[in-house]
Amino acid sequence: MSTHVFDQSRIEALQGQQAVRPWRQRPRKFVWAVAIASVAPALFVGALFFFTEIPGALLLIVFYLPIQMLAAALAAYVTRGTRGIADSVIIVNAIGATVFTAIILISLIGSLVVRGWSALSAHFIFQNNVYINPSTPLEYGGIGHAILGTFLIVLISALIAVPIGIATAIYITEVRGRAVPYVRFFVQAMSGVPSVVAGLFILTTLVVTGALTQSALAGGLAYAILMLPTVARTAEEVLKLVPEELRTGALALGSTRSRTVFQVVLPAAKTGIITAVILGVARVIGETAPLLLAAGNTDQTNLNPTGSPIASMPTYIFNNVALPYPDAVTRAWGAALVLIILVAVLFTLARFIGSRKPGR
Amino acid sequence: MATPELGQRDLQAAATSHRGDRVFNRVVTGAAFTALLVLAGIAIFLGVQVIPAFQSQGLSFLTTTAWDINTDPPTAGIFGMLYGSLLVAGIGLVIGTPVALLLSIFLVFIAPPRVSRLMTNFIDLMAAIPSVILGLWAFYILNSQAQEWQELLNQYLGWIPIFHNDSGNFQGTPFIAGFVLAIMMIPIVTSVTREVLGRTPPDLINAAEALGCSMWTMLRYVALPYGRGGIVGGIMLGLGRALGETVAVFFVLKIVFNTNWYNVIESGGGSVATLIVSRFGEVSGTFELNLLLAAGFFLFIGTLIVNVIANLIVARTGRLQK
Repeated sequence: MSTHVFDQSRIEALQGQQAVRPWRQRPRKFVWAVAIASVAPALFVGALFFFTEIPGALLLIVFYLPIQMLAAALAAYVTRGTRGIADSVIIVNAIGATVFTAIILISLIGSLVVRGWSALSAHFIFQNNVYINPSTPLEYGGIGHAILGTFLIVLISALIAVPIGIATAIYITEVRGRAVPYVRFFVQAMSGVPSVVAGLFILTTLVVTGALTQSALAGGLAYAILMLPTVARTAEEVLKLVPEELRTGALALGSTRSRTVFQVVLPAAKTGIITAVILGVARVIGETAPLLLAAGNTDQTNLNPTGSPIASMPTYIFNNVALPYPDAVTRAWGAALVLIILVAVLFTLARFIGSRKPGR
Repeated sequence: MATPELGQRDLQAAATSHRGDRVFNRVVTGAAFTALLVLAGIAIFLGVQVIPAFQSQGLSFLTTTAWDINTDPPTAGIFGMLYGSLLVAGIGLVIGTPVALLLSIFLVFIAPPRVSRLMTNFIDLMAAIPSVILGLWAFYILNSQAQEWQELLNQYLGWIPIFHNDSGNFQGTPFIAGFVLAIMMIPIVTSVTREVLGRTPPDLINAAEALGCSMWTMLRYVALPYGRGGIVGGIMLGLGRALGETVAVFFVLKIVFNTNWYNVIESGGGSVATLIVSRFGEVSGTFELNLLLAAGFFLFIGTLIVNVIANLIVARTGRLQK
């Protein structure tokens, strides 16, 4: 028996190497087969598209997908035998599903830009909807009142949901009381509450009883129900990333529990907390049903948080979608474009802030 | 260097030794139970509304389909709406689940990392598209396309009962509504299944491939069984969202008070959430409002059950909630 002795440099060289994975090598024949299998069906179906009357969507699903599967299966059979067939079929379908999703997303974003663009202008952002009826041309009126209303409602809901959400996360990660599993369970369950139910709840407890009228406050409370779980769950994730040494260090220096949280843990997780707030805002900003029930709608600019109905971007879109006037519909597309840009900006912001390391 | 984990007792000791901390503790604990409070509040305040609905309609509120509020006595039943919610969400599942699964297989096992990362970002954005915008798109863009698909389905597969259409009216069908819900569910389901499949230990995958598994056999015997629980949970989370979806369905489903059992490309169907919003605008007095709130209660209970089961399944498969 002999023991193998490796010198250090050889071990290091081995460690630097990628796994070889000989089964993943691609012979030349394989590349050719794949190339032919991907081009031929597309050419054939493309010819069908130009020379027959079959509609495009049908052509893609009923003709292209099976033909492409067949071609890929043939190519796989030629290069790898029967074992390759199942692989090729699943690869074709997986790419098909991805393309399907991408087409829908492109269609969504594309139609928003194409149809909403003509509505955009300075006055569309700043003016309100007073004196505007559905047939008024696009030179007049705008969504200024709805933008302000959305901001006011979201602000109110954030003022309620963010402190409670962060406190919930602090309970789970810092206080670590006996009820942690239950609290988590309830937060999870709360995140599944349908938005229309949140609106109904505020409607029946506050509006129907006369405690509040339809207003920004009522809408904000309904939004807060939807925002709270998102903030709590994201904040919990980021507080967990704060190193345990910081907590024990602060406690060892004689700090009290609350000072540890406020002066050490929360500042260390600052960027993560901001991300949690942004994600919470992005979660609710487009919700329509709760505002239809709890906030109502108006054409005027309204900055009074209680006492009178308030407009918002989702309800503005909702009210314009199915009107039989082209200009009203264009306004809906324009407002939708502004709303989606807002959501995209919020998400990019959350990504950007969230990608920075915690604890700085 | 490892630091000893703070035990609960240490924290308790630290927490109760100082008056400020006791207050802090109590405030935070109180806030932590807001979620429970809200859930209980919804259950109680909407639950109370069921009593008058049952007093007037009895159990037929749940077992019949009608909405004649202004007759004397009024009749109302939401069976068709409850069933319709399930039918439409079911269509969404049938269309959305295979797409979501194949999409996550593509993202995890097939796509180059850069493509995968880009696509993941796009899918996250798709999950954030407000439902009213989805409804707007569906009403103007999808609708005309879907008319064509449905006519062809009826023409070639009309002999299958579910694709049968007598009226020639293909507007506002459960199929279109289900398709919209599928689009809404795809990013939700994908984000869970992608994470579950991504957690398959690379050692298992490499071992399977070294033993001569093709990708399909690896998926079939390693990755899919490994992530089965999480996949089922992710699908149920999507189902929970679909059941509660209101506005996107509002624009593409014609609410009719007949139970549409299975004619998925026949105009007219039901959905509890959409019923609430569509009737709320022209609600004719406290009795009808009360019926809508009662319907909301059953919607709440239904989605709560689906969500709790989904979360339990996902949590048991491993902590992967975001």
